[in-house]
Amino acid sequence: MDSMDSSVASPDLGLELGFPFWVASRRRFKPDDPFFASGNLERELLAKHVALDLTEDERFQLQRMEIADANLFCPIAGCGARLEYLEEFEDHYNTRHMASCSVCFRVYPTSRLLSIHISEVHDSFFQAKVARGFPMYECLVEGCGAKLKSYKSRQRHLIDKHRFPSNFEFYKKAHPSKHQRQKLQRKAYKGGDAKDQESFMDLDAKKESKQTRPKHYRPKQEVKSGTERESEMEVETKLHHPQTTETKVVTNSEAKNEKAKAETEMEVEERIEDIVSGISKLSTVDASSPSSVSFGHRHSRGFAFVPRSVRNQNQISKREQTRKP
Amino acid sequence: MASEDTSPSHSHHRDSIKSSVGNTAANRRRQQAISIGKERREALIRAKRLCRDSIFDDDNNEKGLDEGEMVIDEEQSVLNARTAQTVQELKSSLSYQGKDATQKTIEALRALRKLLSKSEVPPIEAAIQGGAVPLLVQCLSFGSADEQLLEAAWCVTNIAAGGPEDTKSLLPALPLLIAHLGEKSSGHVAEQCAWALGNVAGEDMELRSILFAQGALLPLTRLMLSNRESTARTAAWALSNLIKGPDPKAANELIRIEAITDTIVKHLKTADEELVTEVAWVVVYLSALSDKAISILVRSDVVPVLVNWLVGSESLQLLIPVLRSLGNLVAADAYITHSVLIVGNNITDQVLYGLIKCLKSEHRVLKKEALWVLSNIAAGTLEHKTLIFSSEAVPLLIDLLSAAPFEIRKEAAYTLGNICVGPTKGSDNKSDIIVTHLVPLVKGGCLPGFVNLVRSADLESARVGLIFLELVMRGYPNGEGPKLVEREDGIDAMERFQFHENQEMRNMANALVDKYFGADYGV
Repeated sequence: MDSMDSSVASPDLGLELGFPFWVASRRRFKPDDPFFASGNLERELLAKHVALDLTEDERFQLQRMEIADANLFCPIAGCGARLEYLEEFEDHYNTRHMASCSVCFRVYPTSRLLSIHISEVHDSFFQAKVARGFPMYECLVEGCGAKLKSYKSRQRHLIDKHRFPSNFEFYKKAHPSKHQRQKLQRKAYKGGDAKDQESFMDLDAKKESKQTRPKHYRPKQEVKSGTERESEMEVETKLHHPQTTETKVVTNSEAKNEKAKAETEMEVEERIEDIVSGISKLSTVDASSPSSVSFGHRHSRGFAFVPRSVRNQNQISKREQTRKP
Repeated sequence: MASEDTSPSHSHHRDSIKSSVGNTAANRRRQQAISIGKERREALIRAKRLCRDSIFDDDNNEKGLDEGEMVIDEEQSVLNARTAQTVQELKSSLSYQGKDATQKTIEALRALRKLLSKSEVPPIEAAIQGGAVPLLVQCLSFGSADEQLLEAAWCVTNIAAGGPEDTKSLLPALPLLIAHLGEKSSGHVAEQCAWALGNVAGEDMELRSILFAQGALLPLTRLMLSNRESTARTAAWALSNLIKGPDPKAANELIRIEAITDTIVKHLKTADEELVTEVAWVVVYLSALSDKAISILVRSDVVPVLVNWLVGSESLQLLIPVLRSLGNLVAADAYITHSVLIVGNNITDQVLYGLIKCLKSEHRVLKKEALWVLSNIAAGTLEHKTLIFSSEAVPLLIDLLSAAPFEIRKEAAYTLGNICVGPTKGSDNKSDIIVTHLVPLVKGGCLPGFVNLVRSADLESARVGLIFLELVMRGYPNGEGPKLVEREDGIDAMERFQFHENQEMRNMANALVDKYFGADYGV
């Protein structure tokens, strides 16, 4: 079956091997391919003289068994859970791999990764220790136990020791669209009335048109200079980040202004209750550690519950404060 | 099991107790059957057919209750004992020298045959252990009376319907069975032997190889030409078991037989749907295993005749091999799409009609395999893509992509994708995207189905979904692709792959997210 062909490396997609763009080609199966199994089974069931007489029940069961025969395992790295049938995957995923951060709504496939995220992103205590030179960045691979001093060095550790792909980005930039989506969903869960929603969306539109991006975006695969990296640090969840150490990395003022603007606007989007007020202080950070390490994807498909933290921002600030050393 | 009521006042309770006792054995077997389902399924795949009734009506056996009734309530141990005893009787009758020897032998054989055909679970092991096989071989010797040959072959047929060990124990009988296929044999005998051989061939490749080496192919093929429709049918079925591979040598040999294609066409043109079904299975295996056969079949009348059946038949049993034969031929050889199913020809419209009919069917198998054929036709010329695109297949495809079981969704995905991608490549060495097809399909609501595929635990499905999303994001006009994908939670689905164990998937998904939803997105 090779309808997909690994074609020429596409420079703009930046992969060594090349994206397997769609190629329309015929697919052929051998006669004993599992693809034909259900048809073969049907043939024998329909034949009048089957060697074993079957009741309706048994026939039905056999057909069901045949679908269930595919050896299915959860494809999320490190999970390996056996799935009885494919449709089960969605439930399994939602149960096991949706550890979600109540602060920034990012979702991780394991609770361990979630807690690492929370420490690295939402914990000022963590940042303080980092600033003092403690090795705080845990290796992501369970059982390794290594701790590194910076995001970058942990990245290197993953690549060198655990053969992670070089383009594996632990820290994924969020896109503004996700903020929007989430906001709308939260709003919907809140049960805001239509009018609220409308005005909300208008605000979005306005915000969107005003949004600017750091000008120095480069694809992740390249080695970045400190400056570039810094400008890439998107200000996603600076929400509740209390002040940390100032950085010595200087960006040009334009980028800084833009960033501040972008930050502001992102911030604003995050707040449900109070759109205008409460812009928390933001800080530029050391190039070696992004101010908001945020891997994993945002949970955007609706919430099972709305965390209290969402409903009341103040509580979060309080919580943050208690974490201070 | 009926619950037992201790109160004797209601006669129906007593009855139910009685019947529950009577049915205990059957129920127990039934329970056993359900719990060993996998074995039974494997038994089915081995494609055996037990012979319960005489292959001809005008037999001189006793008719009436004795013939018709099944030995249902017999306990297995009792059955086994009777079988062992019957084998002993057969043995003694064979060594008997007197003048009624043949008649005695036939009677003993008949008794054994009845045990092996009337019981719900034939006492095959008991027969083998009792030493039946060498006796049966003896009964099959040349010059024996027709009736003896018939009964013996019938016993062998049903022993061969058993498990691997049972079937393999029949090795000594095989050359004789093949010999009795010959044109000098009585028609009934030949047919019964063909049946026995069909069961043996259905067991596994090793036995198929042995039968092929012993020369079973040619006589079976000749038997398929028989005027007796039941003989032709049985021979065709046995032949399909013989050539089913996976070793292609028997299939390759079959197509080399003079006039085999004409025979196949002739049979396919009859009105006898059962015969057509069995012969169609022969075509299935020829087209799956033998490139030479494919090349001959696509240029023959077989294709139009198969198409007629595809359009005209409502029988699931017939449609499966017909559809699959066409599928194999279309998949293997471009000749069909380019020279036979030319757009504009009547046959092409017919095929499309037939395939759409299968898509609308309630049967999973028909839907899945019809989609497969359709996807391969959609991989043909631009005209083919346009033909399918403009047909009533499209809303069906989108619906199947969204709502059907995953294996059907996957096939629908291939079809839709192939419709949107041209046969030629652009200067960027990527296949041309047929925007005039892509846009309406997306507008028709196919995106959610593809995003859903991306979410699948099945690697191939996820891959197909991702590659289609790339098409949309690259090829949808005015750069609207990414936004459309995002609206269906496509980003979410793709980002799941950050933690996928498969490196290629991670790379693909990351590359797409980086390229289309990077910092520039939304500006």
